[in-house]
Amino acid sequence: MSNLSNILPNSSQPDEAALKRYLEGNATAEERFAIENQMSDEAFFNDAVEGLQEFKDKNLMQEYVAQLNKDLQKQTDKKKARKLKRALQDQDWTIIAIVIVLLLCSLGYAVIHLLRK
Amino acid sequence: MQTNSNQHISDQELLDRFRQDGNNQWLGIVLQRYTLLLLGVCMKYLKNEEAAKDAVQQVFLKSIAELQKYEVAYLKSWLYTIARNYCLMQLRNKNKMVPVLEDTALAPDQDVLEAVKEKELVLQELEQCLEVLNEPQKTCVTLFYLQKKSYQEIVDQTGFNLLQVKSYIQNGKRNLKILLLEKLQQH
Repeated sequence: MSNLSNILPNSSQPDEAALKRYLEGNATAEERFAIENQMSDEAFFNDAVEGLQEFKDKNLMQEYVAQLNKDLQKQTDKKKARKLKRALQDQDWTIIAIVIVLLLCSLGYAVIHLLRK
Repeated sequence: MQTNSNQHISDQELLDRFRQDGNNQWLGIVLQRYTLLLLGVCMKYLKNEEAAKDAVQQVFLKSIAELQKYEVAYLKSWLYTIARNYCLMQLRNKNKMVPVLEDTALAPDQDVLEAVKEKELVLQELEQCLEVLNEPQKTCVTLFYLQKKSYQEIVDQTGFNLLQVKSYIQNGKRNLKILLLEKLQQH
């Protein structure tokens, strides 16, 4: 009866290290079951494992993952830096506009004051 | 699927943080969790390692752009849909035959069973439902879930091929879910 609960959906996800061991054929029986159970539960995971099994060189696969993560990090860092720069530039213009308006007000006040005299 | 120091933070929380401060680095962290899986999905469809890698890059670019515009409730299934659609588009552009795919929504439809997982009643009903399955499904489901045999061991033991075994397990499980829900609604 207790094993019947294996059929019910499981919320835990096998970790990446276990998946790598599975792909290399070195997973323990428990890890293997967890991965194949997840495959039967989830189309995303099933497609992913089937696709990863097609990589002939698992080291190359790891290199691709590392490269993709590096590029992703660059991409997200770059956009953040650009956004910050743009925000600062926008802020510069706001400050300049405020200063000009204040100067014009002061000048106007001074002119009106002088004319009254 | 991750190994970094933000492991304890859920996808949803990372997306919330991104929405709050607009920092793309949160997106970087959450997307990195799926790099390996996305590479696998793209490889499955495109059958070419370089093309799969390029496809994942495109999926990331599209995701970053889209996540800045829209709120996404289920990131994982959303990413899967984006990756699959991108690959299918690539295949269509090359005039390859593209198989019709079932709509495979993830987590939400499992919530009903999840909610009653702990109930002993479910297990009792499940045992009865198992008997109703056709013979190949019953055999494969029993060997896989109850005896924890691997796909390969089931192939060796039953003489079915790998695709059949996977199909019997998945369809068997789906049928069990339908039967179980029917039974639980009667109670």
